Amino acid sequence: MSEPLLEVSNLTLDYNLGNRKMRALDRISFTLDKGQVLGVAGESGCGKSTLGLAILRLLPRVAEIRRGEVLFNGANLLKLSEEQMEQEIRGQKITMIFQVPQNALNPVFKIETQMTDILRVQDKYQNPGSRKRRKDFRQQAIERLELTGIADPQARVSNYPFEFSGGMKQRVMIGMALSSGTSLLLADEATTALDVTIEAQINRLITRLAAEYGTSILYVTHNLGVLSEMADRIMIMYAGRIFEMGETQNVFGSPRHPYSAALLESLPSRQSKGKRLLSIPGFVPPLDRLPSGCSFHPRCAFAEEMCRQKVPPLTEVADGHWSACLLDQKRGRQKWQWT
Amino acid sequence: MLKYIIKRALWVIPTLLGVLIILFSLTYLMPGDPASAMLGPRATPELVAELNQRLHLDRAMPVRLGYYLLGVAKGDLGTSVWSGHKVSSLLAEALPHTALLALTSLGVAALIGILLGAFAAVRRDSPIGGGVTIASLLGVAVPDFVAALLLMLLFCVQIPILPALGAGAAGDPIDIAVHLILPATALGIGWVGYLARLTRESMLDVLDADYIRTARAFAIPRRAIAYRYALKNAVIPSITVIGLGVGKLLGGAVFVEIIFSRPGIGKLIVDAVYARDFPVVQGGILVATILFVLANLAADISYAFVDPRIQYD
Amino acid sequence: MKTDTINQAEVGMSPAQLVLKRKWTDTLRVTLRAVVKVKGGLWGGIFISIMLICAIGAQWISPSDPNAQDIMHRFAGPSLDHFFGTDYLGRDIFSRIIYGCRIAVMVAFGAVTLSSIVGVFLGVVSGYNEGKKIDYFIIWLFDIVRSFPQIILALAIVAVLGPSLFNVVIALAFTAFPFYGRVARAQTLSVKEADYVKAAEAMGLKPLKIISRHITPNIMAPVIVCLGMDMATMIVWESGLSFLGLGVRPPTASWGIMLRNGYKYIQTSPWMILWPALAIALAMIAFSLFSEGLRVALDPKERER
Repeated sequence: MSEPLLEVSNLTLDYNLGNRKMRALDRISFTLDKGQVLGVAGESGCGKSTLGLAILRLLPRVAEIRRGEVLFNGANLLKLSEEQMEQEIRGQKITMIFQVPQNALNPVFKIETQMTDILRVQDKYQNPGSRKRRKDFRQQAIERLELTGIADPQARVSNYPFEFSGGMKQRVMIGMALSSGTSLLLADEATTALDVTIEAQINRLITRLAAEYGTSILYVTHNLGVLSEMADRIMIMYAGRIFEMGETQNVFGSPRHPYSAALLESLPSRQSKGKRLLSIPGFVPPLDRLPSGCSFHPRCAFAEEMCRQKVPPLTEVADGHWSACLLDQKRGRQKWQWT
Repeated sequence: MLKYIIKRALWVIPTLLGVLIILFSLTYLMPGDPASAMLGPRATPELVAELNQRLHLDRAMPVRLGYYLLGVAKGDLGTSVWSGHKVSSLLAEALPHTALLALTSLGVAALIGILLGAFAAVRRDSPIGGGVTIASLLGVAVPDFVAALLLMLLFCVQIPILPALGAGAAGDPIDIAVHLILPATALGIGWVGYLARLTRESMLDVLDADYIRTARAFAIPRRAIAYRYALKNAVIPSITVIGLGVGKLLGGAVFVEIIFSRPGIGKLIVDAVYARDFPVVQGGILVATILFVLANLAADISYAFVDPRIQYD
Repeated sequence: MKTDTINQAEVGMSPAQLVLKRKWTDTLRVTLRAVVKVKGGLWGGIFISIMLICAIGAQWISPSDPNAQDIMHRFAGPSLDHFFGTDYLGRDIFSRIIYGCRIAVMVAFGAVTLSSIVGVFLGVVSGYNEGKKIDYFIIWLFDIVRSFPQIILALAIVAVLGPSLFNVVIALAFTAFPFYGRVARAQTLSVKEADYVKAAEAMGLKPLKIISRHITPNIMAPVIVCLGMDMATMIVWESGLSFLGLGVRPPTASWGIMLRNGYKYIQTSPWMILWPALAIALAMIAFSLFSEGLRVALDPKERER
């Protein structure tokens, strides 16, 4: 039987920008079991990245958590003190890797310095009173780099980030983030900026190391495609809300929400060969000017008058498969066919 | 990087050559006959002829330029028309006073300014931020020589607790330090506010950068993030400014040395201007310019060390 | 059909030309309105206007002749007759401060105009001929002049030419032109790759015409920002040179000369230093607030914030 590692319930969060108030997360609830991979997908501006930052409490100053809780191994992270977060959670049990364009690593310090700093902090909290030296940390950094498949780590550890390619920088980040002590890895668009071939390599590396250490992953991406191979379960988000959630094969096989169906139809696949790929009309609405009712209705090909009026609740439509669409009952088993 | 540094350093040579040509051609701008202009009312035909010969003023322009460059290359900057002392030994006497003044004021100002700016950025909601803005505005509002006058008025006339004139007795460190307080403050006070504001602004940008979020995600202690991870990035603009600022500092030193009657390069130049002692003016400006050029070179090189991303083309 | 022809005509035009098709007074008004909206820009504008009014109308504003001596009332403190007191010759300090505005404004505008014209011209020529001999020569020239500590070079030039208002302007302009040149050159390098310059080259326009019509108008924004801050610097240096006795000739009322006199009598009458110091401080604050406003107003990135 699987054990829950992370249980998020009713998490609601606002960005207060002057007189504008944006609800970036609206009653988000889900669980992530030990050793599992949960994929979070949706277009840009859906609040996916906010979710990861909220779990680690690294939110920008304008963000304010309204209600809800984030239980990690049964303890509510939102109630922990900043010191407890630093000593027990951040960089220890829960680590995070970010999209790597140029700036996720500090440009003016060597890889060695940045890695040993992190290793030293981890060591300080995990083995208080340990007498490791600078040399030991350097050796440990080299080992970590080796594990992530960086060639010649002895020499590369003394390089600066700008001397690494994007994929290699992400390998460095993974080396910092994944170790035997990590229970949960938050990956925020970790491969978005990379080439497709590199992207696949990095994702395989993440899954392999996570499986080895028994680490759960919350994998945030706007590319639903990569999730089909990695994720055990999938959560589709739109404008701060969960639209659909379920086992990967169920969501991919029989999507119960028109938005998920549209995202899937916009992916290239063998079936779609020769066909034009779907591009969903319109764009994600700004979070402070959400449409009434179902926030997707202006872009939805199936919208009815009801969708304009009522906010659809997230309901369990099949065993372990949740969807938030008012038309689901009416439609029964019929597929959402956009094209 | 070494290639960049060498290339940057070699560029100094043609620049200094140009500086020498300008200094040399300044003599041609003097209205009338330079020798009589320098000698002023004492100019008798014999003295004029003698000076003309001594400074090669009677020769053709290219020959004079040749003599001048040759002399400078040998370290011979000529002799003072007034006192007959060698210009190089006058400069050697004055240089330590100016160097002490400039280094003290810039060093202390940079230290205080950068730390204050960083602190104001880290505590971004505290009143320190507003204080830094006001301090930087005051630094702009009160130029160094006005600051020198006001400080003298306040601490030497109204509340006479500090010495007004001179550089202190040689060999007495305490006396020298006491005589340094007011001039160094006058020269450095504007820099504190300016550097604090510069550091604060770039630090605020840096603190929002992705790599700071990475560091926080890995529980690097806040203090280390601010004063190690962020400050090294945030201090980069200040380095260039300080390098360029040495020129302003040397210019300010002229006024401060005159006002507090400190025997430095600046006072030497201005006194020589008053006395129309042109070889001394030329030599003094040359030394000040070389100092400035070297400071800029040092700034560019240290920039390359702080920011490894710099393009070495 | 009519709109079509207009659009076609505008394709080959540079942004600044499109702006210039409006009246230049409109452009000025739009810019000034943007400056005033920036925090502090309005105050800077007000102070500068007051300075300009004092400079132009000094003879009507000042209560007495700035050079009228009144030996009986030397070193008088502030009173209703003499708001700011009198100096060592019994001259009215308030009137001299107002007349000092005139010198400050004349030197600032004169030096800045002269040096920006020369600097921008050389900078554009150098940038347009990037990599050619003339480019290297101009860069060399800029680097030589920039190697001198500015005020010391100005001091040397005035020392050689002799102290006078005109020579101060010349000397200050000479020390500052490479800074405009560098800005103009850097801007030119980016502007000359733009489509409208390429189009003009393809049409066979002469280089001088391309420089004057298409490049120069489009690089002026950062140059104008420098102008504002530089005027403040020029005012300080004029005072500084005059303070050393190497600037404007006495008995002309200049803030620097007033400081010089104040320094001589620092033991006995402190306000002689305070008033010109205050005038300089206000001028500095005004120009830096205004140029900060100008920078924000002319920088598209800042405007979005």
